[in-house]
Order: sequence, then C-alpha cells, then structure tokens
Amino acid sequence: MKVEQFLSYFSAERFLPELRARSKDGVLTELTRVLAEDTDIRDPGLLLEMIRRRESLGSTGLGEGIAIPHGRSTAATQTKVVFAKSSKGIDYDAMDKEPCKIFFLIVAPYDDVRQEYLPLLGKIVETVSQDRTRDKLLELGTFEDFQRVVREVIGE
Amino acid sequence: MSERVQKLAQLQDLELMIREVEDPASKEQEEALGFTVAGLEQLEKARDRLIKQIPKKDLRIYQRVRRRYDRAVVPVANRICLGCFQELPTARTAAIAEGDSLPICESCGRLLYWL
Repeated sequence: MKVEQFLSYFSAERFLPELRARSKDGVLTELTRVLAEDTDIRDPGLLLEMIRRRESLGSTGLGEGIAIPHGRSTAATQTKVVFAKSSKGIDYDAMDKEPCKIFFLIVAPYDDVRQEYLPLLGKIVETVSQDRTRDKLLELGTFEDFQRVVREVIGE
Repeated sequence: MSERVQKLAQLQDLELMIREVEDPASKEQEEALGFTVAGLEQLEKARDRLIKQIPKKDLRIYQRVRRRYDRAVVPVANRICLGCFQELPTARTAAIAEGDSLPICESCGRLLYWL
C-alpha cells in the first residue's frame, strides 16, 4: 500500500491529539462518536455495538501502548480511520497489561467491496511495530505532523 | 432511525462477525497480525438474545431478504439505496420509515437504514 493511499483513510477531523476519555469503554465511545460526526452517521450506536462486540473476542490492545479497535458495520459506507492519543495512557486490557497511548479505530463497510479492510489493518500494525515510529507518533501534535511522520516511515 | 431497523442492522453485523470468526482464513489473518479472535459461543448466544428482541414478522422479512442478498439491511445516503444505487422517491424519507411497516427499497427489496 502506497503512502498516499494509506493517508487517504485519515483526516484532520478524525485526528485527536488528546483523548478526553479515561477508560477503555470511554475511548471506544469517543472514537466512534468522532467517526459518526465526521461521516454524517446520525447514530453512532450501531458502530459502538459492533466495536464493543469485537473487543469481547479479545482485546485489540496489541501491547507496547498500541490499540487498534476495528470491524465492519452496516452503518459504514467507506473505510475510515480515527487516530487518537492519550498522554497519560488508558487501561485497555492490552495483551502486555500496559496502558495504551496510541489508538487507531478502523471501521469498514459491511461488504468491503474494495477489500481494503484487512490490508489497511495489516499496514497499520506494520507501521506501529517499530519503537522509533511509536515514539514519533507519541510526540506529534497536529495532523500535519502525523502526515509527515507517516510519509517518513512508509516512504522509507 | 427506527429501532426495529436498528435491531435488524445489529443482527446483520453480528452475523457477519460470526461468519468472520468461523472463517479459518479470516481468523488466521487477524491472528497473524497479533489479534486474539475467540468466543464464537458467546457471539452465538448474543445473536440468540437479540433475535428474541425482534418481532417475528420483522425477522421473517429480514430472513427472506437475506436469502436473496448477502446484505439485507443497507444504508441510505443522499436518498440513494446503497444496495442497488437507485434513487428513492422524494416522498420516501426517514420519517416515513418510522411508521408501521419496515422501510424497503422499492427497487431491490432490501431493508433501508437511514444514516
């Protein structure tokens, strides 16, 4: 996946440099609300229900401070990502039991006809797997910074 | 949006998740990325609980449409049914969908979910 295609799933409206939420469910609620507001979905309830259900299969807190809640829903018309951070970290029931500080919410349409969902999920996991990238993501403050870091990392 | 359609959309999403967990290829892909995917039984129980909350008539309609299409409930965006991409008649609005009958696309027969 090319860097510009990767960046097309993100937007400044779906970039949260500091989450207000202080709990795992609060994070899921805040992220799905932002996604719904930005994509003209009146009721984020269906998205939230799906994301909570996915978490019940196993936490998407991968460890190393990263969580990637994800899923497909009838309510989604396009694949979109919300990027968010929490400087204090949130108890997310991650695999290493450490607090999560970097969050990517991925929601894809039910039919995913363009088959974007799993390749995008894989690219995000690959991108955050390096310590250096995670440090850069933690430090950035604006969506422009985010774009620059992604171009540096994926463009390498 | 009508709570009745919301329940059917929830059921559709839940059935999709069950299919993904049951599908070895899909499960393997997620697990290869480091995610845990377990708990099929609890998803099936959740589906059974949800089905009990849905009026039988609505469930029959949903199942009938599901036999024809993989996706029975489809979003409506800008008055376009995103199942068949036909424009809905002007008179057809989300408000009408709150009435007694489930909102159905006159063109393809899918159940309509207003975003």
